[in-house]
Amino acid sequence: MQQERTVSPADPFPMVVVEHLVKRFGSFNALSDVNLKVAKGEKIVLCGPSGSGKSTLIRCINHIEKHDSGRIVVDGTELTDRICDVNNVRSEVGMVFQSFNLFPHLSVLENCMLAPMKVRGLAESEAHQRSMALLRKVRIHDQANKYPAQLSGGQQQRVAIARALCMQPKIMLFDEPTSALDPEMVKEVLETIVELAQDGMTMVCVTHEMGFAREVADRVVFMDRGSIVEEGDPSTFFRAPNTERAKAFLNQIIH
Amino acid sequence: MNSLDFSIVVQAWPYLWSGLLFSLSLTAAAFLVGMLLGTLFALVQHFELRILSQLVRSYVALMRSIPLILVLFWFFFLVPLVLGHLSGNGRPVPVGATYTAFITFGLFEAAYYSEIIRVGLRAVNKGQFEACQALALSRFDTYRHVVLPQVFRVASPIILSQTIILFQDTSLVYVLSLTDLLGAASKLAQLNGRLVEMYLAVAVVYLIIGCAASQFVASLRKKYAIAGARR
Repeated sequence: MQQERTVSPADPFPMVVVEHLVKRFGSFNALSDVNLKVAKGEKIVLCGPSGSGKSTLIRCINHIEKHDSGRIVVDGTELTDRICDVNNVRSEVGMVFQSFNLFPHLSVLENCMLAPMKVRGLAESEAHQRSMALLRKVRIHDQANKYPAQLSGGQQQRVAIARALCMQPKIMLFDEPTSALDPEMVKEVLETIVELAQDGMTMVCVTHEMGFAREVADRVVFMDRGSIVEEGDPSTFFRAPNTERAKAFLNQIIH
Repeated sequence: MNSLDFSIVVQAWPYLWSGLLFSLSLTAAAFLVGMLLGTLFALVQHFELRILSQLVRSYVALMRSIPLILVLFWFFFLVPLVLGHLSGNGRPVPVGATYTAFITFGLFEAAYYSEIIRVGLRAVNKGQFEACQALALSRFDTYRHVVLPQVFRVASPIILSQTIILFQDTSLVYVLSLTDLLGAASKLAQLNGRLVEMYLAVAVVYLIIGCAASQFVASLRKKYAIAGARR
């Protein structure tokens, strides 16, 4: 363990620990006994058929969904029902949604500045500076004064990424970030995420973009019916999945 | 039949003007109080605070099922009795017609505005709340900076309609012997017998104010439009 990034699940100080996680929606078991560790700097791609619980899992990590039992520890803070724990965790976890969820009544710049000012207590000038820097990073700074609905889907999603980054999170969660996009816009968003990965950001990404998974993932986690069925490094997983369910899934998405 | 003589309206203008000012100030006050309380009521129901939201719901149902004119009477006659009882000496404490009007209109309109805002709150996309959670925004900031601004924008045409109705309803203060625009006109009309002229003139004033209000909101909407918004 010299200088190279540790990506081993045995990392003594993981960024996220999920243990025996159970989440039910009524009588439906969305997650049953899920265990996952994410090391600092690790990039995980979560995949699986729809309804397999992958979105629910990452939504539990920042407590947008409340888990029913099990433990979630993010950067040393255990998620309990206490509001301060929840807010501590949330302010360290950035999230990007399938449907962007930008604030439509605020300009791109204001979207980015709101949380740093209100949650981190940044002065307006600081928040402005930070937001512009991150908008430049996702190459959308020239649209800073437009409103979300004036932008294309791909641009909106890049703004959403910048907005999450403005909180300087320690980990980023992506919930199918390209699923709502027109095909020609998928690339610009994926490139932005790849760049983020290259900067060393810890990330968990729910996606079906297998090319992207091959390029950035340290580990692919395959879920089905609320459990983790298989995990491995991307080359092995895509070439020779162990389980029948993973094989069937891969067959389907590669047509 | 004598022909129309509008000079009578010009002569009466100072009196009509004072009536109009009363109508406008009552509308403005009831709008402010009503929106403030109405937003509060809507939020209480939105958060489903158990006992409180039950209370608010009953209050809104009560106010909306009773004619405003009856509420005015109640306040005018009941509140002095209640105050007298509370003060201990048992003698009614008169509130006065003007205060009664301002308080009643504010409380009454709050019920209507709260319904508008409650519906508006339900129309805000769930993703907006989730985005706020993900950014660790407090509940207060979520509603203050993200949710309510969207609600007010979406609901502004209905809020305006309600406010125009409110403006017209101010004429009901005649039951408290207060003089609003319409009240001033009818008093003069009965004095000088020029009913048609007076009522026509007043109708024009109502029309102008109603149109101006619509224009004002339209320009606001243009200015603050959620540019290009589809959802």
